[in-house]
Amino acid sequence: MLASLLLSAFLLVAPADTISDYYEVETIDTPPGLVAETGGLGFLPDGRLAACFHRGEVMLYTPKTKTWKLFAEGLHDPLGVIAVNNRQLIVVQRPELTRLTDTDGDGVADTYETLTDKYGLSGNYHEFAFGPVRDAKGNIYVSLNTASNGAGVRDEVRGQYDALGRQGRMYACVPYRGWVMQLTPDGQLKPFASGFRSPNGIGFDAQGRLFVTDNQGDWLGTSKLYHVEAGKFYGHPASLVWRDGFPDIDPLTLSVKTLDSMRTVESVAFPHESMAHSPTQIVLDNTGGKFGPFTDQLFVGEMDFPHLLRILPDEVDGQLQGACIRFFDQGGSHGVRLRIGTNRLAFAPDGSLYLGQTDHGWLGSRGIQRIRYTGGSTGKDIPLDLMHMKLTPTGFTLTFTQPLDDSTARAIATYRFRSYYYEYHQAYGSPQMDVRSVPVTAVSLSNDRKTVTLSLADLKPGRIYELTLGDLQANSGQKKLMNHLVCYTVNKLKSN
Amino acid sequence: MYTFLLAGLVLLTQTAQAQRDTTITVTTTDALQFDQKRLVVRPNTRLKLIFQNKDDMAHNLVVTRPNSRLRVVEFALALGPKGPEQHHVPKMAEVLAHTQSVEPGTTDSLVVSLTEGAFPFVCTYPGHGSIMYGVIYATNEPKRLPPPDQDVNLPNPGRLADTGHTHHPSAGSGHPYPLKLPAVYRTFMPDCGPAAIAVGLPGPEGGQSYVFDAGQCRLRYAWSGGFVDNTDQWEGKGQRLTKIVGEIYYRDTGSFPWRIGLGNQQPPQFKGYRLVNRYPEFQYIVNGVTIYERIRPLPTGRGLIRSFTLSPTRETISFLAAGQPGIRLKSSIGQFRDGELRLPAGTKQFTITLSN
Repeated sequence: MLASLLLSAFLLVAPADTISDYYEVETIDTPPGLVAETGGLGFLPDGRLAACFHRGEVMLYTPKTKTWKLFAEGLHDPLGVIAVNNRQLIVVQRPELTRLTDTDGDGVADTYETLTDKYGLSGNYHEFAFGPVRDAKGNIYVSLNTASNGAGVRDEVRGQYDALGRQGRMYACVPYRGWVMQLTPDGQLKPFASGFRSPNGIGFDAQGRLFVTDNQGDWLGTSKLYHVEAGKFYGHPASLVWRDGFPDIDPLTLSVKTLDSMRTVESVAFPHESMAHSPTQIVLDNTGGKFGPFTDQLFVGEMDFPHLLRILPDEVDGQLQGACIRFFDQGGSHGVRLRIGTNRLAFAPDGSLYLGQTDHGWLGSRGIQRIRYTGGSTGKDIPLDLMHMKLTPTGFTLTFTQPLDDSTARAIATYRFRSYYYEYHQAYGSPQMDVRSVPVTAVSLSNDRKTVTLSLADLKPGRIYELTLGDLQANSGQKKLMNHLVCYTVNKLKSN
Repeated sequence: MYTFLLAGLVLLTQTAQAQRDTTITVTTTDALQFDQKRLVVRPNTRLKLIFQNKDDMAHNLVVTRPNSRLRVVEFALALGPKGPEQHHVPKMAEVLAHTQSVEPGTTDSLVVSLTEGAFPFVCTYPGHGSIMYGVIYATNEPKRLPPPDQDVNLPNPGRLADTGHTHHPSAGSGHPYPLKLPAVYRTFMPDCGPAAIAVGLPGPEGGQSYVFDAGQCRLRYAWSGGFVDNTDQWEGKGQRLTKIVGEIYYRDTGSFPWRIGLGNQQPPQFKGYRLVNRYPEFQYIVNGVTIYERIRPLPTGRGLIRSFTLSPTRETISFLAAGQPGIRLKSSIGQFRDGELRLPAGTKQFTITLSN
């Protein structure tokens, strides 16, 4: 009795070791009167934050003085911003991509130039325009949401109307709905890639490759991350009506088999419920370590859960695939929790990550928060977390941020795999199909105790391998594993 | 983002589409007024309005589309000698329903189906329309209607004279700053393409406003008595339209106003705008000619001054504007003939004054 009481007391006082011991979240005050449904975040070269909001405001925040100033107003649901320089922003709003410039230096934009409006608008609420992002060559990319049959279209539309694109739950009756568009430096807007449903996240990885997130729904059994390349089709059929040379047919009359053969699958699936409901912006950790150990990895926002996602990329035969894991799950301390509704993300020059939240008539929240790497008591402490997950011909290797304690790391029971897939079909979402548990047949730990090599009884392509990690520890039990669930999308097997 | 459950919405829509029938009787008082000036019904009501004329002169009762009272009154006035045989009711889409001329001591009725919105009713007898009117609100949220003494849809000269002083700074702008005219909103506007620009201009009695269609590169309509109400557009997912506050007095119902050169007319391209003292100056390209357009209010009275600057061209340029009741058009260069203004070769700048 006494022993168990003492044990309980010990457990209560033992340091928990959570993500909040390494990272801190704070809420940024927004100006009174602002309805902070955040549509875009971006940092100016001088360190100010540009933020745009649903009611059309574009505001500049100076972190040092914690002050806000209005830069532009009256935009139509702006959903993204690039800071070109300290006096110029590029913002995407529903009807166009717009360059805002303060030409006279009074701190307020006075020109609102249309960079492109060469795409259609039916007036349907779901026709959001997302982006913009710019590659090293100066091309700008925006992604165009399809319309929803939750509402109709206006009597007057902009652009050619095609009734063949009007079918289905999410539709594309005006040009380039469901497309990623490329604006070249000479001002030409080109349809770049098709097959998207609600592509509310767009960004580049450390190698400059373009990625787009899409949202679970019709034709998307679960939400996903695509590696997007010119000319490819990613699976949501409505957009096909706007593909050059596509026959005059309703794309939904094509068989699932045909569509399946045409599409490029995702690099990483985000299993519904466990990882994401509604993934948002993609941001590259280019902080060089200021944000902790995850340099050069991608983070993704999520609307419905109080966590972000982190991508663990892999490459098999030149094709990208890989895993996703939560980040800052349930994080927060000193009475401030990470909220849901994270729609936009931007790294500040100081290496902290600003989060713009919205609800926009759905689940979510409003406002701006910021996650900062504190590095614990030494300022350099690193949480125990999964750093890399790579496919091998017989299983996976897992590389952690810290050398692992032997006992749990070498135990087969620490690693439990399930595998399943999501159906590609017209229906909304998909259950997990053909769920199997996959036995781990062998475990080994590297000499530096950071890398675990696992052999699996069975590996098949076209499936998700969901790994639940047991209570791995490091530093003689002082460090606890931050995230136990990781999901690897096996598109291709690795040959010997 | 944006997975969603639609079941609830579908139910709501179905309930809303079921029509209900309501009957209301309106009479007259002396001093050219209806006895009831504000009627409130549920959306999708089939309303029978009985108009009982207790006055000593004849009247009618006309229900119009939202924000269209002024234009209907103008068109009624323009009927001239043909007015009495049409009961002073112009034939136009803005008229939803009307009674016949109702002589003193007699009664007539009309039936009108009202979806949702603020539908003016008015006597369109010459001279009556500017003061003898009211409004029917078809709404599920009667509690959100403005108090009658602040309702711009009701006749109340005292209130109008005060506008401009009663506004608390920033109160109700919906932004972290007070709304300052001129002001620009990109938003979904009624009777316009989806790429719309609403502009509010300063002036007495709520000022004037207009909508520029950025898809078609043309002014669509103008109104007076206020600017816009974005409440519905801002709520939720952004499907619902911004509402006009005030009365539309001008609509461009003609063909595309510019004809440049004799060949094929290319679709115009919208290039954006710059703000000059907060007034937007639009820039668009029509058949290779860059046009800059700035719109200011008339210094006194209802109307707009449209200033155009053109890039050099050798092509002939015409500006087309169909005549309409109550609207006078005057150009700083040349004259309108049969709705066409031919610009002299080499014209770099000109203005068109539109007055009501």
